[in-house]
Amino acid sequence: MVDGMADRELVESAAGDDPAVGLRAVRSLRELADRLESLQVTRARQLGWSWQDVADALGVSKQAVHKKHGRST
Amino acid sequence: MFEKFSHEARTAVTASQEIARDAATRRIDTRHLVVALTRAHGPARDALETSGVDVAALSATALADLRSGGLDADALAGIGIDLEAVRREADRTFGAHALERAGRRPGGHIPFAPEAKKALELALREAIRLKQKRIDGGHLLLGILRADCAGRALLVDAGVDIDSLRTVIEDRRRAA
Repeated sequence: MVDGMADRELVESAAGDDPAVGLRAVRSLRELADRLESLQVTRARQLGWSWQDVADALGVSKQAVHKKHGRST
Repeated sequence: MFEKFSHEARTAVTASQEIARDAATRRIDTRHLVVALTRAHGPARDALETSGVDVAALSATALADLRSGGLDADALAGIGIDLEAVRREADRTFGAHALERAGRRPGGHIPFAPEAKKALELALREAIRLKQKRIDGGHLLLGILRADCAGRALLVDAGVDIDSLRTVIEDRRRAA
């Protein structure tokens, strides 16, 4: 178990040290957040949320959320 | 520029659009073009096969890479995010393959990535350099090999010797 932990720390520190991996993680996170946002907004709209409700929850303007998701929902 | 494209090259460009739609990518890059070129019969596929490339395996690797989209499970694991767990939860809340669906554009035109535009430009220049009037799949492949692009990296990763592939294509152009 001690060995396992040491291995994991090694892997984690290697990943954390390499900017290429770190940047890929950031890019993936953005993509993931975008996709989850699209799914959540669609669902909220189907459940009857107004664009204003969605915008408030996301902390952005109603115009911004409508521009981004207006067509797909 | 497209009016100078051969049937093979046009087919490849059109097919890259469909590949992008199927794989749910937001842009068409040179990896899409490489996959499209492996599917069309013509100079590009001939040259790849002559150079000993397993085009089916190359295409499968590229498609898997495209389908994973901008979601790199290994990189996410490095910052403590289990992509499989997120995928499971998303499926549970939004239905099967929710994350894949969400990555898809609502339809319509999928734009070319700047690197793919660059490769198409370079293909035109290769045709001019080789004194040929039409741009065929061979020129597209040469353009991809000249560009600093994902398609070239894909070929390098597959163990393709870029210089010898270029020579094979150019020799065939000259013979044609």
